[in-house]
Amino acid sequence: MTGVSTSAATLPVASTGRVHAAVKPVLWLALGLLAIEVLVMALEIRPYYLPRPSAIAANIMATPGAYLAGLWRTFLETALGFVAGSLFGVLMAVIFHRWVTLRELFFPLFVVSQTIPVIAFGAVVVLWFGNTLFAKAVISFYISFLPVTVNTLLGFSSVDPRQVQLMRSFGANDVQILRRLYLPAALPQLFVALKLASSLALVGAIVGEWFGDTTGLGVLLLQAMYNENVVGIWATIVVSACLGMGLYSLVSLAERKIVFWGGEQ
Amino acid sequence: MSAYMQSDSARQIGRGLAGALLVAAIWELSARGLNLPAYVLPSVTSILGGLVNDAASLAKAARYTAAESFAGYVIGCLVGMAAAVLVTMIPAARSVVLPLATAINSVPVVAYSPLVLLWFGMGMASKIVMVAVAVSFTIFLSTIAGLDRVDRKSVDLIRSFGAGRLAVLWRLRLPTALPLIIAGMRVSTVRSVIVAIVTEMLGAYDGLGWIIYQAVLQIDFVKVWAAIIVASSISLTFFGAISFIERRYVFWR
Repeated sequence: MTGVSTSAATLPVASTGRVHAAVKPVLWLALGLLAIEVLVMALEIRPYYLPRPSAIAANIMATPGAYLAGLWRTFLETALGFVAGSLFGVLMAVIFHRWVTLRELFFPLFVVSQTIPVIAFGAVVVLWFGNTLFAKAVISFYISFLPVTVNTLLGFSSVDPRQVQLMRSFGANDVQILRRLYLPAALPQLFVALKLASSLALVGAIVGEWFGDTTGLGVLLLQAMYNENVVGIWATIVVSACLGMGLYSLVSLAERKIVFWGGEQ
Repeated sequence: MSAYMQSDSARQIGRGLAGALLVAAIWELSARGLNLPAYVLPSVTSILGGLVNDAASLAKAARYTAAESFAGYVIGCLVGMAAAVLVTMIPAARSVVLPLATAINSVPVVAYSPLVLLWFGMGMASKIVMVAVAVSFTIFLSTIAGLDRVDRKSVDLIRSFGAGRLAVLWRLRLPTALPLIIAGMRVSTVRSVIVAIVTEMLGAYDGLGWIIYQAVLQIDFVKVWAAIIVASSISLTFFGAISFIERRYVFWR
C-alpha cells in the first residue's frame, strides 16, 4: 500500500496533486488569518488580548534584524543540542543493549531523571558553562537524549532473535549485526522519538535563554513580557512557531526519506 | 512463573537502587574530595541538609505547585479527550483540525507563557491554564491515534447488530483507544509539573519554580537542588500513580 503511493508520488503526473497538497494548508492559513483580522476589527478586541495579525506582521517587518538574529541563535542552540542528544541517545541505547548489567544499574536512574523538571537545571547549567551558546545547547542536549534512548531500546527489542542467530550462523560479527539488523529495526521507533526530541530541544534552548543572554527567541519573549508588549510577544511566538514547525517537518522529511518502508506508529 | 517474575523484578529493583547509590556516592565523593564550591556542585548530604532546613517553605511551595499541576492536568485531559471524540464524530472537521493541532503542538509551549501570564495574572490561574494547554494537546493527539486504531471490520460487525454512532464509540472505540490515551496521560504527568514550574519561574507568588528562581538570584544553590529534588518527587509520585491506574484498570492491552 505504502509502496504503491510512494511510487505514484514520484511520477510526474502526480506532481500537480503534490502542489495542491502543499498549497491547501497555506490557503487555509491565509483564510484563518483574514478571519481573525476581520473579527478583531469588528469586535474591537483590544490589542492587549489579541492584536491583529497584520499588526504582528508589521512588528516583525519593522525590526526584522532582531527576530532573524534571535531565530538564528536559538536555531543554533537547538540544532547543536538536538544532534548531540540524538547521537548520544542512540549510543547509550547501544551500550545498554550490549551490557545488560549496565542497563539494570543505570537505566532506572535515566528514567527517574526524565521525571526531573530539567528546566530547573537551567540555572545550574548556565552557571557551569557561562552565558554561552554552549550552555543552552547542553540543556537542549540533556532534554532530548532520553526519549531517543528509550525508543531505540524499544526498537531493538522488536528484533526477532532468530534473525540474529541466522546472521551469526553466517559469521556476522556484533558490529555487522548492529548495523544491518538492530539499527534498521529501531529506525521507525527512533524517528518517533526524534520528532519529540526536536521540539523538546527547542523548549530547552528557549528556557535556557531565560537564565540570561542577549540574543535569542527566549530573550525576545522576556523583553516583550517585561515591557507588556503583547504585539512583540505574539511576533516572537510566531517566529518560534515557524522554527518549531520547521524542525518538525525537517525530521518528518528525513523520516519519509530514510524509513521508506513506513513505521507502524 | 509469578514467583520467578517477582524475584526477577526484585533483582531489578535491587540493581536500580545499587546504581542510584553508586551515583550518589560518586557525587558525594567528588563534591567533597575535589572541594567543589556549592554553586558548582553541592554534596548530596548538604542538599539533604538543605531539604530539612527549608522543609516548611518547600512543603508549602510543593503543595502550591502540585495543586496547579493537578488542576491543569485534569482540565487538560478532559478537554483533550472531549475534543478528540468530537473530531472523530465529525469526520469533516478532521482534515482541518488535525494538521492544525499537529502544527500547534510543534510550537514550544513555553513560548505562550509570557502571554498567559499577562492575561491571567501572576496567581495560580495562569499556571493552571498553561498546564491545561500543554496537556490537552498531548491527550488530544494520543486519543485521536487511539480512536483510529479500531478495526474497520469490528465497526461493521457491531453496526450490523444495530449499534448507533454513540454505541460504537462507547463499546468499541473508547476501549480500543484507552491504552494509548492512558499512555499519553502517563507522559503528560511529568510534562504538567515541568510546565507549572517553568511558568512559575517567569512570575508567581509561590511554588517550586518561584523558589528555584529566587534561590538562583540569591546564589543559594543548595536550595536550588533541594527544590529540584522536591519537584522530581512530585512528578515521580504523579507518574507512579497514573502507571498504577494503568496497570490496574487497562488490563486488556
